[in-house]
Amino acid sequence: MDVKATANLIGVLMKYLGLAVVFPIAVALVYHDPIWPFLAAGAITSGVGLAVERATADAAVRVGTREGFLVVAATWLIAATFASLPYLFSGGDQLGHPIDAYFEGMSGFTTTGATVLTDYDELSPSLAMWRQFTQWLGGMGIIILAIAVLPRLRVGGRQLLESELPGPEIAQLSERIRNTARRLWVLYVGLTALETLALASLGWLGIDERMNMYEALAHAFTTMPSGGFSTQANSIEAFSAATQWIVIVFMLLAGANFALMYRGITRRQPRAFARDEEFRLYLVLVGVASTALVVQLWSYGLAEGEAAVRAGIFQTVSIVTTTGYATADFAAWPTLSLLTIFALMFAGGSAGSTSGGIKLVRHLLVGKVLRRELDQTVSPEVVSPIRLNGAAVDERTLRGIAAFILLYVGFWAVGAAAIAIESAFDGIEIGALDALAISASAVGNVGPALGITGPMGSYEPLGDVSKLTMIFLMWVGRLEIIPVVVLLTRNYWRM
Amino acid sequence: MRIFLIGAGQVGFAVVEALHSDHDVTVLDTEPSRLAALTERYDVATVEGDGTSRRVLTAAGVQDADLVIACTSRDEVNLVAGMFARREAKNATTVIRTSNVEYVELWRVGQLDVDFVVCSELETAHAISRIIGVPAARQTDVFAEGQVQIVEFDIQEGASQDVLGAPLREAKIPRDSKVAAIIRGDQMLLPGGDEIIRSGDRIVVIGSPEAAQAWSALLAPEGATVRDVVIYGAGRVGSAIARVLLDQGIRVRMIEASPEKARSVAEALPQARVYNATGIDPDFLERERIGHANAAIFAMRDDAKNLYAASLAEVHGVRFTIGIAHEQVSVEAFEHAGIDVSVNPRAVTAEEIIRFAHDPRTKQVALLEGNRYEVIDVTLRDTSEYIGKAFKEMPVRGALIGAVVRNGDAIFPHGDDVLQTGDRVIVFTEASDAPRVVDAL
Repeated sequence: MDVKATANLIGVLMKYLGLAVVFPIAVALVYHDPIWPFLAAGAITSGVGLAVERATADAAVRVGTREGFLVVAATWLIAATFASLPYLFSGGDQLGHPIDAYFEGMSGFTTTGATVLTDYDELSPSLAMWRQFTQWLGGMGIIILAIAVLPRLRVGGRQLLESELPGPEIAQLSERIRNTARRLWVLYVGLTALETLALASLGWLGIDERMNMYEALAHAFTTMPSGGFSTQANSIEAFSAATQWIVIVFMLLAGANFALMYRGITRRQPRAFARDEEFRLYLVLVGVASTALVVQLWSYGLAEGEAAVRAGIFQTVSIVTTTGYATADFAAWPTLSLLTIFALMFAGGSAGSTSGGIKLVRHLLVGKVLRRELDQTVSPEVVSPIRLNGAAVDERTLRGIAAFILLYVGFWAVGAAAIAIESAFDGIEIGALDALAISASAVGNVGPALGITGPMGSYEPLGDVSKLTMIFLMWVGRLEIIPVVVLLTRNYWRM
Repeated sequence: MRIFLIGAGQVGFAVVEALHSDHDVTVLDTEPSRLAALTERYDVATVEGDGTSRRVLTAAGVQDADLVIACTSRDEVNLVAGMFARREAKNATTVIRTSNVEYVELWRVGQLDVDFVVCSELETAHAISRIIGVPAARQTDVFAEGQVQIVEFDIQEGASQDVLGAPLREAKIPRDSKVAAIIRGDQMLLPGGDEIIRSGDRIVVIGSPEAAQAWSALLAPEGATVRDVVIYGAGRVGSAIARVLLDQGIRVRMIEASPEKARSVAEALPQARVYNATGIDPDFLERERIGHANAAIFAMRDDAKNLYAASLAEVHGVRFTIGIAHEQVSVEAFEHAGIDVSVNPRAVTAEEIIRFAHDPRTKQVALLEGNRYEVIDVTLRDTSEYIGKAFKEMPVRGALIGAVVRNGDAIFPHGDDVLQTGDRVIVFTEASDAPRVVDAL
């Protein structure tokens, strides 16, 4: 464990991370907002980074696999701190409290989309855009971004990339990590630009009167990372049906495997999608769950016709991809619908996408392992490798998936207990299902939960312990648990 | 013909045995003791040396050869020797043996610079697939692109009375087929119409694939089509067999004792059901209903294990067993112990290689009964005395024409049929008579 080299790399990352304030400063200048909160946040982050880098300049050149875990875990804590500084400086009553500011920062970078905001109108345009922008930065991964753009970043193995990119295995798009990272980011930027254009043109054509360039960019920034922050208190409900349909399409793209999309686009092989087992499961799940919700909404008389279809699909896609947008206050739906939404929080999108949660490929592989277990109960000698898209999956990977799911469920349960206990003491109105949903929503980076913390609600009423619990859950959820838990083992710190 | 042979192992021995009397053979090997054993028995020239050395090859006279055969047990040696021979002996045909199916595929697309590649594993697999197609058969060979089959059957008690006990001209023999020979004890008869097939005989039948299956049904009525096969051993031979059988839509189960091998074959062949087991545990055999399989193939590396596993499988109810015998001596032991069919991969390979040493008019040969008999596929010379003669007028000369291939179609001739110019004939004969028969045609 080379602490010095780790600190050095983190210092370098902080130094460049601070430069991200250039964008909100530009927005602030356009809207005549004060630029000092952003300037200060950037200066502090870059300054501390520079100081750490200087102090550890004599560190070893390379950061290995072991150090990678600490770099990733620490960088994400620091990124959330960085995101919270502008809220702390100019957030007023809503975001000025340190825990609230850090909550909003962590929710931003981890693309969760849970918020403590209650009054959206009070927020200045530049601070609102900063919230959206932090989700966009966190979506494809800040370290992946650093690998892609920073010159001669002293990063060794694929460990860093693997810790940050969702899913059990990373798809190699190139022999070089840097090229893989670049291609992922190019696709990400491209899709964001496309969505901005699509949404903005609805405004220009007069189809959606509330849509303009600012809103288009703000929502593209939180769709592609499957984030879920909105500039509007009632999320995407504030916009027209056409806007909602476009957002559905881009949420679906954000929940698909970016490596698969890259291959499908560059090699012009649309059949690659049809052959991918995870992608097929993704479409089937969205199809089945949407149908279930549409039927429920229609039969309960909550919506009908195109509105019911749109509401069912939108909510399903939003939760499955862990975006967390809403076009209806699903917290007010009947119990069956609540349970549907709650169950979908455990699905997650595809591996290699920007979504959170368990990820469909893990469900797929666990299902196959279970089927094999049953087979081997009858015939213990049978050897049947688990296959994904025809290729055999390593047994170690399968064990890793089992460990991940156990830890995921463990963190979710403990988190829910912590939230339920504190809420009971503080007398906050949180039901049992609500507490379970809040915890699931945080660890899965979904955003909204049920009850008062539903899509149109806020996490503001929760106590400090609950908020800190959620901050922790969002953090471990985004990094897919294992890189963080590894840091808690004694063996990690030996030598 | 001058033949240059690299490798004096089992395959080399079998090739020399078949070719030494009619050809000038030079054998190269690194092992003096093997060469000594060879010269003791056969009249061949031997050279001690490394087949991968170009200098050694030229010193041994590879440039004068008409046919170069590289059949050592090592693929790399055969490849290198084959390529050097190709450079040195421009007019020679080069044949190399490999145990890697990948090389066969490379050769098929023209990526390997040799004339022919013979793969022991693949030949073995095809031999077994032919046997499975005709379950009552001991051995089968196909000719004329599969239109003609030569099949050997053992006649057992319980065979249909249609063919047993009556003179051949009265017996109800399946259409498009002919009894080419009856082997009774050490004797071989080329049967006339008065001959009677008895139980205990072994017969050789030439006929269409349908006829071969009809014969199989007559001789082993209970041996219905094979749909479910168990293969013991997932090495190269076992995997090659599994691949070929799976391609034919047969259900394949494999038993492999090594966990690594079991895993890798399970990865390579998703349709096969693979067990990591020794296959001699009675509980396992019972639990997995191994006895219900239509056939079991024993392709483990150790002949003794194959023999024991086969006996045990028969105890558990497998009715049709095929043993892979790596040593020629095991073939007899297998047969004695009641294994239905034995296949020696090296013998199969040698047989395939020997085909290239025949007259250029000869397309293909098969060896039966430990090389005692040959089946030859040969095109008639324009000047042949047999052209224009009806079959019933032909003198019986220790040879039998089983089928005629005319314009690509197989004909199973009757007494009044007449041979024409350009016909290909498939002839059954004793091995020692083969060159004389080819000359006469």
